[in-house]
Amino acid sequence: MRLAASLSRVCPAALFSAAVFLVPACGDGSRGNRAARPVVRPANPARIRASPALLGYLDESGLPPRREGGTLRRRLIGDPATLNAVMQSGAPEQEVLQYVSRNILDFDSRMRLVPGLAESYTVSPDGRSFTFTIRKDARWEDGSPVSPADAVFTIRSIVDPKVPSPVFKSVFDGLLSVEASGDHSFTARFREPSAYRAMAFVLPVLPAHRFSGVDFLHAPGNRAPLANGPYRLASWRAQDEIVLERNPRAWGERGHFDRIVFKVLPEDAVSYRALVGGTVDETRLDTSGRERARSDRAFADCCRMVEYYDLGWNYIALNNKSPLFSNPAVRRALTMLLDRAGIVRGLFRGSARILSGPWAPDSPAYDPAVPPLPFNPRAASALLDAAGWRDSNGDGTRDRGGREFSFDLLVSSGTTTGRQIDETFIAELARAGIRARIRSLEWASFTERVDSGNFEAASLAWSASDPNPDPYPYWHSSQSPPQGLNSQSYRNDQADRLMESARREQNGERRLAIYHRLHRIFRDDAPVIFVATSSQKFGFRNRVRGLVTSPLGLFGIWPGPIGWWDADGQGQAVASPAARSGP
Amino acid sequence: MTRYILRRLLLAVPTLAGIVVLVFFLLHLAPGSPMSAMGGDSGRRVSQRAAEEMRKIYGLDRPLPERFGRWVSRVVRLDFGESFVDRRPVLDRIEEALPYTLVLNGLALLLTLAIAVPLGVVTGGRPEGALDRASGALLFALYSLPAFWAALLLQALFSVRLRWLPLYGVVSDSPEGIGLADRASHLVLPVVCLTYGSLAFFARLIRASVAETRNADYVLAARARGLSRREALWKHAFRNALLPLVTLLGLVLPGLLSGSVIIERIFAWPGVGRLYFDSILSRDYPVVLALSLLGAVATLLLTLAADIASAAVDPRVRDGTLG
Repeated sequence: MRLAASLSRVCPAALFSAAVFLVPACGDGSRGNRAARPVVRPANPARIRASPALLGYLDESGLPPRREGGTLRRRLIGDPATLNAVMQSGAPEQEVLQYVSRNILDFDSRMRLVPGLAESYTVSPDGRSFTFTIRKDARWEDGSPVSPADAVFTIRSIVDPKVPSPVFKSVFDGLLSVEASGDHSFTARFREPSAYRAMAFVLPVLPAHRFSGVDFLHAPGNRAPLANGPYRLASWRAQDEIVLERNPRAWGERGHFDRIVFKVLPEDAVSYRALVGGTVDETRLDTSGRERARSDRAFADCCRMVEYYDLGWNYIALNNKSPLFSNPAVRRALTMLLDRAGIVRGLFRGSARILSGPWAPDSPAYDPAVPPLPFNPRAASALLDAAGWRDSNGDGTRDRGGREFSFDLLVSSGTTTGRQIDETFIAELARAGIRARIRSLEWASFTERVDSGNFEAASLAWSASDPNPDPYPYWHSSQSPPQGLNSQSYRNDQADRLMESARREQNGERRLAIYHRLHRIFRDDAPVIFVATSSQKFGFRNRVRGLVTSPLGLFGIWPGPIGWWDADGQGQAVASPAARSGP
Repeated sequence: MTRYILRRLLLAVPTLAGIVVLVFFLLHLAPGSPMSAMGGDSGRRVSQRAAEEMRKIYGLDRPLPERFGRWVSRVVRLDFGESFVDRRPVLDRIEEALPYTLVLNGLALLLTLAIAVPLGVVTGGRPEGALDRASGALLFALYSLPAFWAALLLQALFSVRLRWLPLYGVVSDSPEGIGLADRASHLVLPVVCLTYGSLAFFARLIRASVAETRNADYVLAARARGLSRREALWKHAFRNALLPLVTLLGLVLPGLLSGSVIIERIFAWPGVGRLYFDSILSRDYPVVLALSLLGAVATLLLTLAADIASAAVDPRVRDGTLG
């Protein structure tokens, strides 16, 4: 059966978007890790809005027949640095741990929080305390129960200054205390209430009894984790292969495959061949990979493409502190010099959408009623003239007060898409009398320049792994470098006040209304050039069924990959539950 | 001879010290840090507080000269510290990767010599002959093929289309991946890719030396004594061609340890080249320093060994009348 016959629907975006990572521009890089996020209570999931996506979200979870058994062969772009859930730092770790360690809470494909290790949780009336009740049947691989002590130990490790926990540290920034509050429950108390705080508990748990008396950073469990999920680690050959097998003590939802084999394949071109050749079952594709797959008979015979929009997007950051970009009219002019429609057509082959604000269009915070600024070099030219940038010395480049309008545009050397966007851009800038040079930097140097605010313009991508849309950490003036992640040093007092009030607002509808007002301000202020959100693309062997995509991707949701099965397997077919109903 | 070796050894000490200082400071002064490299391709940004804590955990909050002092004092006790990335001892990580690279590069070098030596002697024996011209053109064509392109091409042909050889990796997914034959089949493509480029280098070098010596008086004398052309070439001309070959080997052998980043990435080969490359990208200072030091020591020792070998082969080197 081909994909066309499968259940495809448009997914409603329920909660919100945000969280940050810089990705080598174009979002090709991320596969749903979690990240620095502020905050709080589940927003109102009643707000449901059809996605304006060209592509729907896929849900094969109801497709018959479901078979048990077989081996799923997945591709990793790099070797995990650790399998200690607290110290994880990258996508490979998250992708392996998802099978082995259950989270306290999980996101479902509609970005709603659903029970994981915790069967339920309550929030105190002041919105500062969270009490979670752990499932009584939750067990570690060695038979001992998953206890509140484990959760307490995990969260205390995260906030311990001697423990590197890049993913979770900032999430628990405002933690006051965490204690067991019963045989099966624990309570975490925070300094302030915050609308998205519960998302912090999409968090795996460590077995406290395995860490007592051992040095946390060098515990044997960091490379041989004790499982409490449907699978456990069978073997790990560094830089090469990780094999998981069924956890005999699994409780709750179980996977369908008997074994999961992860192959470390750093090169995209090779993983594509491995997919078509049948040695891996899935791989990420970039835009050129998609074009190639479309015309490849061998691909059509064995595989299918899965394409969806996640919450990531591309942008060109302009340093608002630079005399070149301090005037919003100039930044608007620059936005109007970027032919985004042309980029979507040419570079992304239609698999992208233009943006007008700092959220992906599938986030409810994004107001579809705010159209993007048009591509209009003449209007842009008029804006630049009015701002005093004219070519007074006749050398072909605009200037003002003796300073030429010329700057370096930084790009990470790992991205081709970002660089191509930049090249389109500087060609148009040159026609408008602005001289820009592309400077390609290797990743670690690039992020250092951007994070410290030591740049004029930089090509970036935003990648979100949870639906928290709070713009505060990335756009509030108090968060400018060196303290925060507002790398572009954007400052607008009205926007600042709105961001503060949104954080205090407990009513989901009203908070959303504030975000929509902010969206309009962001569009007009153009603190950065919002470019586009491009689709995520994967190739899958046809035998792998049960895929569910969501704005959080294929991997950032529960059950996600654990719900997949082998349609060609020899195993027994099991009755599948009725397809989940749409919105 | 002993004095010669001692003198060379003493000379190696300041060279080594220079390399160590240079590598340490270049690495630490280069832009980027383990914190800014965090998350790699997936590109996470670490909050300022988390970054500050990590700097302390890694000891990067200490002044640079102090860090250098600590590092040197540990290294002289052969303690290379632990990796920033996975917190395991650096030597464990190197030990894990080294056998893979040694096997791959060792085989490639043997294959290179097995082809280049006879080819060099035969073409050197008849310079400008048909074989010489044809092999010269072919070798230079191969030499200029980019490795990543050739590797992808060979994969497309032998792994995807013909399915004769595995696409990547060290062994197949079990259970068939246990035998020696399976392991050998995984070596074929990467070894070929590492070999073809260096063929030109070796073959042309040997050819040039043999061509130079083939008309020397002692070769002619050997021919006059009734040795066949072939015997004269191999026993007399080739022996003299050995000298530059030994020097070249001294320069090439340290490469056995360092691995090839491109080939190891394309063939998903868990060797030293990939470890080095990934460690640089993630600013894993202890691993990068250890590997750089290892490379420097190997280069110095093997160059020295090559010099000693040259001295043994050629008395003129020993006496200081040549080179």
